[in-house]
Parts: sequence; C-alpha cells; structure tokens
Amino acid sequence: MAASIAIRLIFFILLFGCVFAFEDDFHEELLVKPMKNGQVYTSFQFTTTWNVSVEDEKSFEHYHLFSKSLGEVLSHYSVQELHLSLTQGLWHYEKWGYPVHDAPPGAELWVWFRPGTENIDQTWTDLINVLSGMFCASLNFLDHRSVVTPHLAFRPTGVTPSHHQRLFAKNIRYATLPNENVCTENMTPWKKLLPCGARAGLTSLLNAYKVYDTSYHSLGVHFRPICMSDDCSVHGVELVQSLAAVFDPTLTSRSQDWSLKKLFARTMSSSCPVASSSIAMVDLSSNFSSPFTLDPLPSREEIALRGRIKVRYAVYEIRDFARNQRVFNLAAKYKSEMSFSANEPPVVHAQRFQTGYGQAKGGVMSLLYNHHPKENIIVNYLEVIPWFCRVYLHTLKIESFDKTVHDISANGTIRKPMHFHYVPGKDRQRPYHLELLLDLPPNSVTRLSFEFDRALLKWTEYPPDANHGFYIGSAVISTVVRTAKHINDTSESFFLRLHTETLLITLPTPDFSMPYNVICLACTVVAIAFGSIHNLTTRQLIGGISCGENAVLV
Amino acid sequence: MMAFPFLLTCFVGMGLRYWLFGTSLAGWFAEQNEIVTPLTSWKRVTEGLSLFNLDRSPYEGDIFHETPLVLRLLNQLNNSFGSSLYILFMLLDLLIAVLLERIAKHHGRYLLQEQARKISEYSTEAQDILLKTNALQITRLIIVAGYLFNPYVVMTCIAKSTAIFNNLAIVSAMLLTLKGNQTWACLWIAVAAYLSFYPIMLVVPAAIFIAQRQGTDLSSPQCISSVMKTVLCTLTSLTALLYISFTLEGSWQFLNSTYGFILSVPDLTPNMGVFWYFFTEMFEHFCLFFLWVFQINAFIYTVPLSIKLRDQPIFLMFMLIALMAIFKSYPSYADCALYLSLIPLWRHVLPQTRNNFIVVCMLMVCSVLAPVLWHLWIYSGSANANFYFAIALVFSTAQIFLVTDLLFAFLRREYDLLHGSKPLIINGKPTEVILE
Repeated sequence: MAASIAIRLIFFILLFGCVFAFEDDFHEELLVKPMKNGQVYTSFQFTTTWNVSVEDEKSFEHYHLFSKSLGEVLSHYSVQELHLSLTQGLWHYEKWGYPVHDAPPGAELWVWFRPGTENIDQTWTDLINVLSGMFCASLNFLDHRSVVTPHLAFRPTGVTPSHHQRLFAKNIRYATLPNENVCTENMTPWKKLLPCGARAGLTSLLNAYKVYDTSYHSLGVHFRPICMSDDCSVHGVELVQSLAAVFDPTLTSRSQDWSLKKLFARTMSSSCPVASSSIAMVDLSSNFSSPFTLDPLPSREEIALRGRIKVRYAVYEIRDFARNQRVFNLAAKYKSEMSFSANEPPVVHAQRFQTGYGQAKGGVMSLLYNHHPKENIIVNYLEVIPWFCRVYLHTLKIESFDKTVHDISANGTIRKPMHFHYVPGKDRQRPYHLELLLDLPPNSVTRLSFEFDRALLKWTEYPPDANHGFYIGSAVISTVVRTAKHINDTSESFFLRLHTETLLITLPTPDFSMPYNVICLACTVVAIAFGSIHNLTTRQLIGGISCGENAVLV
Repeated sequence: MMAFPFLLTCFVGMGLRYWLFGTSLAGWFAEQNEIVTPLTSWKRVTEGLSLFNLDRSPYEGDIFHETPLVLRLLNQLNNSFGSSLYILFMLLDLLIAVLLERIAKHHGRYLLQEQARKISEYSTEAQDILLKTNALQITRLIIVAGYLFNPYVVMTCIAKSTAIFNNLAIVSAMLLTLKGNQTWACLWIAVAAYLSFYPIMLVVPAAIFIAQRQGTDLSSPQCISSVMKTVLCTLTSLTALLYISFTLEGSWQFLNSTYGFILSVPDLTPNMGVFWYFFTEMFEHFCLFFLWVFQINAFIYTVPLSIKLRDQPIFLMFMLIALMAIFKSYPSYADCALYLSLIPLWRHVLPQTRNNFIVVCMLMVCSVLAPVLWHLWIYSGSANANFYFAIALVFSTAQIFLVTDLLFAFLRREYDLLHGSKPLIINGKPTEVILE
C-alpha cells in the first residue's frame, strides 16, 4: 500500500514536472443542453493548449499532451490553422438554435497555411492525403475539383501573422465532402489524439453504439495559434477536439427524463488525470418551460450573459466525484412526463433547396431569414457548386420579402449584393465559387436563386451508384449578430457561421453496359462515309453489262 | 420579272420568323440540343456577356466559347438592340438568303461558262441534260425559298443560335470565291475559320477555283503562285484576326476556350453528332487516340475530294461544307441547314440521285423523334441515352447517304455528259454504269 502511494507520488511529481517543463494544458468539458422539444444536445470539448509558436518548427519535436501524430503533420505541412469536421445529419437551426461548433453534413476541411508556404495547392493535396489516412475518411477526394479559396466567408480564428498580411489572405483552402459517411472508424482515431485516449475522463462516455444512433452527430478538430499572454506577446497553439450529438430520449421511453447512463449506456468513474479541469455543465434555460430536477446536485451554478439574455448553468466538477470514488451519472427528472414546446427560431437561419425538374437543367434556391424585429443583418453567402453543374451567373436573382408573406413565388424587392466574388468553374478542374455580401432587412425572407445545366459525364467519372445522384455541398452563411440567443458568450456581437442543407442532384447517365456497342456503331457510321467517299473518289464510272458476277466492260 | 416572287418570299419568311419569335417555341428551341450546341447557345453568350460586363474574362470559366471579336461584336449588338435583338437574327437570315441568291446567280453563270467551254467534249446524246438559262433563273428563287422556309433554318434563327454568324461567313466566302475576288474570299474564309475552325478546309476549293480562272492547267506556275497566294492570304488574315483577339484580350487564354474546346471535346452535352456518346463511353486510355481519329476524319476528305473534283471546285466546296456539318465535334441543325440550302445549286444532278426518299424519311423521322426521345430520357426517365444516340446516329447516317448520293449523282452526270444520257445497247441489253 505504501509502495503504491510512493509510486503514485513519484508519478505525480514527474507529471507536474513535465507539465511545468512543457507548459501545456488539457481541459475537458461537457455541455448538456436539454431542449424544449425533448431532445438533448450534448457537446464535448477537449482543449489542449501548448505554449509554443506555430512558426517555430523545432518546438514541434518534443510532445507531451499535444498529439504527436497530428503535431508532426501540422508542422510538416506549414499549417497555421486547421478546422476539420465530420458530421452525420443536419443541424436544424430552426428547432435547435445554434450549436457550439457549426458543421455541415459530411466532411468539411478548411486550412490556413503559414505565410511563405510554397505551392499551397500541392501542400493541400499532400495534407488531405495524410489526414485521410489519419481519420480514416475519404478526405483525399477533396482535390482541386472541390477546393476553393474563400474570399470573405472564412477568416482566421486565431492569431494571424503580423507580416505578409496581404499574401496571407490567399493562403486558405476550403473544401467539403457532403456525401461522407461518418462512423466508428472516424471516432477511434479521433479519440487517439486525446491525452487520455478513451480510457478515462469524459471520453469514457463516448460509446460509439449510442453516439452513432443519434439524429445528429459531429466530430471536430480545430487547431489554431492563440495568445498566451494578455498583451499577446507570447503565442501558443490550441487544439480543440469537439464531439456533438443530439439525442432523443423520448424515442426509447415514454418520458422526457434523461441521464448519462440512458444517453450513452455508460457512466463515468474517473476524470482524466492529466486534465487541468474537467467539468460538465447543464444549460438550465429550458427549465422554465419544462421544469426538471438534476441528480446529483451541481457543484455550483453559474450565470452567463448572452448579449442581454442571462442563462443559468449547473456546473459539475467531475474531479470531486472521482476523488470521492463516486460514479458520475448525471440525470434529469422532469416534473411532468411530457412537456414539449416549440423552440423559437434563432435570429438568422436559412433553407436551401433545388428547383426545376428533369436531368438537363436545374437551379438552386436559398431562403435567408432575418427574424430580428429592427436591425438589418449583413451576411456573407458562400456557395461552392461542383463543375458538373454549369452555373449561369446571369440567372442569379436576389429578392426580399416581408416575413409575413407566405407566397414566395410572388415577386419581391430586387436586391443587389453589397459585394460580389465569383470564380467560374472549369470542367474537371475547379468548382464554381460564388460569394455574396447581402444586407438582410429586418423581419424578412431573402430569396436567392440561380440556374445551372447538368453535364453528361464520361462513364468512368460516375460513382458505382450513378443513379443515386451527386451532392452539392452546403452553402455557408457567415455573419455578425448583436444579440444572438443560444450562444455562450458575453460580448456585444457574435460571429455566426451557418451551413445550409446539402443538395442531392441527379445527372443524366449513359448506359454503362454499352461501351462496345457504342464504339462499334459510331465507328460504323464513320466507316459508311469513309467507305462511300473512298469508293467514289478512287474509282471511276464506266459503262458495262452485268452478267451475274462478271461485268462485261464496254 | 423575278422581283415580286422574291420580295414575297422574303416577306413571308420574315413574317414567319417574327410570328415564331413571339411564341413560346422560341424559348423551347433555344434549349434543344439538336438546334443549339455549347458553342452556339445564346444562353451561354448571355453568360459570357454578363461576365464581360462585370470586367471579368469570360474565358476563365467553361461556359462561353465564342471568340473575343465575336464577344465584343455581340456585346455591342446586344447593347444597341436590347430586347429587340431577335430583329438582328431575322435580318441576318435575310442577308444570308440574299447572299445565297447572289451565289445562285454567279454559280449559274459559272456553270453556263463551263458548259460552253467543254461542250465540244460532250457527247452529242447529252443534249437533254445540258443546262438551260431559264432553269438557272428559277434556281435563284428556289434557293431563297429553300433557305427561308427550311425548318432547320427557321429553328436555328428562332433559337438565336450564333451559328448564324458562321453560316454567314461561309456563304460570303463562297460568293466572293465565285466572284473571283481573291483577297475578300480569303478574308471571309479566315473569318469562318476564326469562328468555328473547321471552315479552314474551304481554302482548298477557293484556291483551286481562283487559280483556274487564271489558267486551265493547275500545274502551270501561274496557277501554283495563285494557289500559294490564296493560302498565304487566308493564313495571314487568320493570324491577324487571332492577333487582334490577343491584343484585345491580353492573353492567349481564349484559344483554349474556343479551338481547344472544339478540338478536345470536353463538353459531352448530347447533340446530333457522333462525338458525344462515343467519348462518353470511350475507355479512358483510348480517348486521345480516338479524338485524333475523329478529328482527322473530319478533315481527311479534303484530300481525295480535292483530287477527284479538282475541275469542279465549287462542288468540292459544297461537299466540304456538308462533311464538316456531319463530322464536326458539335454539330447542330444550323450546319445541316446550310448545306441543305445549297443543294438547289445542283438541282440538275438531282435526277441521278438514288436514295432521296429514304434520306428525306430518315431526316424527318429523326427531327420528330429527337425531341421526343430526349423528353423520354431526361424528363420521363422511361428511355435512356441509347435512344437519343440511336437517333443521332440515324441522322448522321441520313446525312452521309445524302452527301455521298449527291457526290455519286454529280459524277454520274459528268459521265453522262461525256457518254450520253441514254444507255448504250449491246447485244440487245442496255449497259449499266458501274464503278471500276
């Protein structure tokens, strides 16, 4: 017993020594937000900060808490900032508000490369291949056919280099893979990046059977350089790994009650020993409309200001539970069995769908809602359309309507974009990239639409399930709003990024069983012409009598 | 004497177009793949013009494929005509009709001259197939009516296909060649080649024709220098046009969007040609090989036909225009319509053709079935690409039958002129004319 205590002591001394020497920190956090409609949003966030400069490649040689496999890749490919998300399902802004980390269905990757990176396109290609292997995802398909350099939609989220600002603005690459299926094989490598792996702490809750049985789940990896001191003279890096899932406890039982055990089929008995903090929070904002009680009682309650709205959180220090050898199973019990109510839609949200019929032409239409009663909201709208949908820019039409008008087929007020960035696509080379800066009037719906032609591809360019269709990635809406609800922040204005629905379009298909027939028939037709003309030009007409097979010449 | 029927024809032709422009057919035709191709679609031109007016190069993308000079011309025309742009297309059609009438006149005169020159070589029994002046007079009306009321021409015009500029250039080149105006003929051939590349072939018949006006023997030094002059003049004009485009555009990027697009066939949008489905279904590693084969095929006929028809350069020109329309990478009804309109020039060889009925039936069936099968494939989902491709193949085959049949009929008439139109009777059996 004494020996084991001694070993533990030595271990902790070493550990703290290491922590001190490496100056890195690990925090784990779980946010549970019961929603009014009975669903439960859980968001895990694992943050590793490390006191090294992103530009100093030497410091990426010795690792402590920061993942070595990822660190080496980031350093080798001159990554300044990296954001990767792997998502299944669509986030319903209208019902659920805004998530902690926004992500479109499928895979999304955007990377800022360090200033001075040579041949960014090649670096990007190498990077996606490495990440593809690392996360077991088809990220290698994010090649030049789908990648764009966004103009305004994506800005660095961390510290930006002080020099080469103008050049740096072009160092971003953005691509999405809307048809990526996300499953256990993506979560396992994601867990391996964490200092405690899946063995202790909040990660021990992550049961793939349960997480991948939800209506929405999203994995994220966010790397950025940050300030380590108040005056920002010391730079460090931050790696945020996030996992979000929306559970629906009412699907399996007749009550709205939920507990960690019910959601994840697991409980937690330890916190991650290397974590500086390990907390779980429950958003109590829905407690007014559908009251519930929490068990165990929270360590403390905190009040956060979101703009002008106060939100109460119940905060649990998981370490206290682990120290007391107690199993941590957070549970909520509702006063009444079912007490649903609809959520109010958030200030800005959007819907997108395709228009037209048939497989020759088509169109995309987006409805952008501004629910703010008084203020105009300026949004940036980014659309990346694959090359096989040939977009006609002259068909772009932006109209706004009063929110009370339900007939959107009517004509509204024509609006001009405040700013406009367009890179036309090229066949088999690059996608169509459209960015618009729009001013949304208060209490309005803005309709944005354009048309495209569907291309007939070569038969080898179709996927095996050609008639399933092709995906168009989500449009990205970025904006700054004054008083957003549902965001844990106290500042005056909030940056918001929303993703719309992905679209599934069908392209005309050739008959895949026909190559030989087509080649033969087309060549035959050419041969008819060639043969006849050859015949008529190389021989001459003469008179004669045909007698069976022999002709008697005159 | 002929003025009234001419005016009436033109008036009715224009009236027909004006009426059709007002109907919903205009929008429908403008989207039919048989009528417009990615090269000639007005929708793509609109896109190009809107990019151009945003100070962006339309050649950055893969939608616009017109040449820089046409881009600026169309921009100018679009700005000045505005919503009444359709009047421009009507006027262009009328202009082509008038040029065709001039062609018929000069061609008639040329045929009579040739007949007079060679009459001593002709058989005495060929009297009844010799050309008469008044028959040639009526050709002038037939060609105008044949053009203005050709449904393919009408559809092309209503669809605002920019192929009309290409047709105008080819018709002008033909007229100026007939007039023997070397410099202008070369310039117009260069313009046609500048617009759609394939008409560069027309330099061969033009050179032969102009050389023959100076001396009958093609191998004489005089003729050779004339041929050289024509070829050089055309190439110089073409280079000049390309250079002007380069200076206007500031880069050679447009070459890839125009000629690169024509030659490498990246856009496999269905049309009435043989290229699209062939290259959709082609195995990846053979694509380049067959691309060369098919493009060479479009040009190769120039060689044997120039040798065979060296004494009839205008007919050679017609044959090349027809073969170009069949074997170009993005053919449409506009190309087909052009050579169909020229057929009345050789009205006198038609009695010798053998498969008129079949060809006319095939063309009619294709024209009706193509939109039907397109609808079944794209909108109803009850047919597939093979159906439309089959129709495209039949349409190509019909055109090949027609063109080779005309070539045969022409050669047969030449034979008859020398040997008499009545078959010889040997041993009580009439002789047949066969190829040997």
